[in-house]
Amino acid sequence: MSAAIQINDVTKRYGALTVLENIDLEIAPGEFVVFLGPSGCGKSTLLRMIAGLEAVDSGTISLGGDRIDTLPPGKRGVAMVFQSYALYPHMTVSQNMGFGLQNIGVAPRDIDRRVKAAAETLEIAHLLDRKPAKLSGGQRQRVAIGRAIVKEPQAFLFDEPLSNLDAALRGRTRLELAQLHQRLGATMIFVTHDQVEAMTLADRIVILNERRIEQMGAPMEIYQRPATKFVAQFVGTPAMSFLPVSGIEDGARGVTLDVAGAGRVETGVHLPATFARENASLGIRAEDAKVLTPGEDGVPLRVKVVERLGDRAFIYGTLSDGTDFVVEDAGRSTVAAGQEVRIGFDPDALHIFDSAGRAYHHTEGA
Amino acid sequence: MADRSAFSPESLTENRLLYWIAAGLAVVMLAPVIWIVGLSLKNNQELMLGTEAVFRAPYTLKNYADIFVNSQVFGWFLNSMIVAVGQTLGVLTLCSLAGYAFARLEFPFRRTIFILVLFGLAVPEQAVIIARHQMFNWFGLHNTHIALMLPGMSSAFGVFLMTQFFRAIPREIDEAAMLDNTSQFRIFWKVLLPLTMPAQATLGIFTFLLAWNDYWWPLISATKKEMFTLTIGIASSQTNFAQSEGLGFLSAQAIFASLPVVIVYIFFQRHIVTAVSGGAVK
Amino acid sequence: MAESYRRSRWSHALFVVPYLIVFLTLLVFPLFWGMWLSLNKVDLFGGAEFVGLRQYARVLSDPVFHQAVRNTVIFVAVSVPVLVGLGLFLALALNRKTRGAAFLRGLYFSSTILSVTIVTLIWRIVFIPNDGLMALIFAGLGWEPIGFLSTKGWSLFSVGVATVWWCIGLPMMLLLAALQQIPADLYEAAALDNASKGRILTRITLPSIKPTIMLVAVIQIVMQFQLFGQALLMTNGGPAGTSRPIVMYIYETAFIRWDVGLGAAASEILFVIILCAAMLQYWISTRKEEV
Repeated sequence: MSAAIQINDVTKRYGALTVLENIDLEIAPGEFVVFLGPSGCGKSTLLRMIAGLEAVDSGTISLGGDRIDTLPPGKRGVAMVFQSYALYPHMTVSQNMGFGLQNIGVAPRDIDRRVKAAAETLEIAHLLDRKPAKLSGGQRQRVAIGRAIVKEPQAFLFDEPLSNLDAALRGRTRLELAQLHQRLGATMIFVTHDQVEAMTLADRIVILNERRIEQMGAPMEIYQRPATKFVAQFVGTPAMSFLPVSGIEDGARGVTLDVAGAGRVETGVHLPATFARENASLGIRAEDAKVLTPGEDGVPLRVKVVERLGDRAFIYGTLSDGTDFVVEDAGRSTVAAGQEVRIGFDPDALHIFDSAGRAYHHTEGA
Repeated sequence: MADRSAFSPESLTENRLLYWIAAGLAVVMLAPVIWIVGLSLKNNQELMLGTEAVFRAPYTLKNYADIFVNSQVFGWFLNSMIVAVGQTLGVLTLCSLAGYAFARLEFPFRRTIFILVLFGLAVPEQAVIIARHQMFNWFGLHNTHIALMLPGMSSAFGVFLMTQFFRAIPREIDEAAMLDNTSQFRIFWKVLLPLTMPAQATLGIFTFLLAWNDYWWPLISATKKEMFTLTIGIASSQTNFAQSEGLGFLSAQAIFASLPVVIVYIFFQRHIVTAVSGGAVK
Repeated sequence: MAESYRRSRWSHALFVVPYLIVFLTLLVFPLFWGMWLSLNKVDLFGGAEFVGLRQYARVLSDPVFHQAVRNTVIFVAVSVPVLVGLGLFLALALNRKTRGAAFLRGLYFSSTILSVTIVTLIWRIVFIPNDGLMALIFAGLGWEPIGFLSTKGWSLFSVGVATVWWCIGLPMMLLLAALQQIPADLYEAAALDNASKGRILTRITLPSIKPTIMLVAVIQIVMQFQLFGQALLMTNGGPAGTSRPIVMYIYETAFIRWDVGLGAAASEILFVIILCAAMLQYWISTRKEEV
């Protein structure tokens, strides 16, 4: 039931505008892949090309080893859940779920059986005779998923399916989708701009930006070892702080940096000889910096705002050169706006970016 | 005591005095109608002596009964029905197909053709009616039901309305249907067309009323008495006004002729208002 | 083929062909044929002779046409302000959520759905001398009776009364729709700003629906320029042509006197007038969207 997807050198243009360029991607059978990126990065377009709703300008797409990019959408063996659900308003829930099977001439008895089975799984059996207008947002969402399940597709495509739900329901549906994936073991592609959805659901995240794949990898790999400054900035809340680097000095543990607002910063990162030293920057996540106890020696931070989340607090401030910086502190933090505190960094969790945005990290055992 | 009811924005715009003036003016709206209803219930001979007889009993339904017995009104009624229903079905079919294509399909010169059709909205009847009359003459079509139905089907309004309506249906519905392996015609027929029912109703009722009430075209196209529509027929009996047939009978004819549109109006008022105001106020 | 419905195909055009055939044969062709007719003299045997603008010259020098234009312009100049003003008044008065207001809205709109034949029949019976409702009222009040349909001046007036009675529904409904689109929070903000009812009307309500008022006026100008059935059926243009409108002139020349070329020329002249008004309407309605 689940099949591999190969995307080979795919390009998409709208007139003179290229929205995707030379995309190569292989998805293993049963893998849950999330396309993550800012709006307009082409992630939905890529999904719609797999579905057959957008034409491929060059390159090929295969599913289970068979080329599908020349087939009409209904013949590709994929099912899609739309952001707006796109349920047929004039059909009941069971008609909605059975319509696709009816179109390919499945016997009414079998349609009935498959619709009932899917409805049981999704706990919507009691809604089968209702029309979409009489359903809540969450229920519509389930019907949309049910409509995909009954088709027993080789791959499921989700186009931001959670973005129309309220926060609580979104969290719950996320968990249920993860369970559904475990149970069905189907290949799933999920498009979102929400990094929490991406981090929690994905076996592998594909980050798209400006026509290209910026990075692919397991969620924690993306988070801890972002390949580029863009990924570092896009993934993680609050966003990583970046400090301009004015000088780099090699050392045994790693390079030591001259940073305008923070003086000399020792890192656990080794840079290759080819590293272009001009216009480099240092990236630090809020949880990789800490507020030092008074009297300890550290980098001074002028506090502007303290954001308390209960279990932790984010302290937003500026360094001596005016650069913005965020540091995480304990929930009971006593730091207040207007104060000046001293902060320190974990040298092994620092990221260095060259002028082109390529990232360098601490390597274990190096 | 202070008014402690909650603030409502209506209280700022509503004006009791205006409202009651409007209610009073309704008498002017209604008086002529009541007058006609009264006349229709009176014996013609009694009315000959003076119409103030309306205010006195006895009343009778004889005038209405006469419509079915000794007049051509019933035949005209049938003509009107055939023409109005035929024209409505024609308009709905043509405009649904065209609206779907303009809203959803891509074909050469689509934009140009659509703009051309929109220009059709600006063409008034009297700019084409003389030529139309000649054309139907060439083909000997005058005094047929078809001739009465056809010109109304060229109206661009319906195409415009249906195109707007198809456009308002989210594309994802089509796309979901495509992923459900639905053929293009089946998407139109099974998925989208049922969704346009409100627009079909609006356009259908609107067309029916226009066809039923049409005056000028039937006036010049239907010249034989048996091909008259109700509008033309009643108008023709008005010319020998108050002479032969009598005010009571004339009034009863008018009320009988209006019954279908009044019934349609009572049941579908909302659709009619949408049709007439939808085009102008979005 | 993938996403076939987005691809441009000749076969897709099949959906518009049925309408297009009707549109081209019954609207586009007659439109141009009408222009041709206005430029050619056609005799009864089918012969045609190009006469250029001679028929236009005949129309423009015809005193009957002059009178018809004058009648129509007077009619439009009086009936349109009345229709817009009364429509605005009714819309303001009946813009409330009570059952009574809904009933009155329905009542005021109801006359619109009647055919011109019925409307004129009703009003003729109201206006006829001796036995009409007006005659009875005048007699009851001891006033001198007026021959509403047969007196110069009063005949056009009577046509106007019937027209206003018949057409008042549309302006009212359009203006009501516009009133209901004014966001409620605008009024809430005004209430917080301590605005009086009068100021709310002149500073918020009227400016908000100004584009619609303009639109309604233009629609009515276009419609009332086409005055025809009421005049034909109520007064037959009389007395002495003082209530004959342009369309009735076209009807009489083309279909009573069978001077087709003259009728066609007159209808082209009216078409140009109406086209100007329609362009004004288009301009107003597109401008409205930008606001």
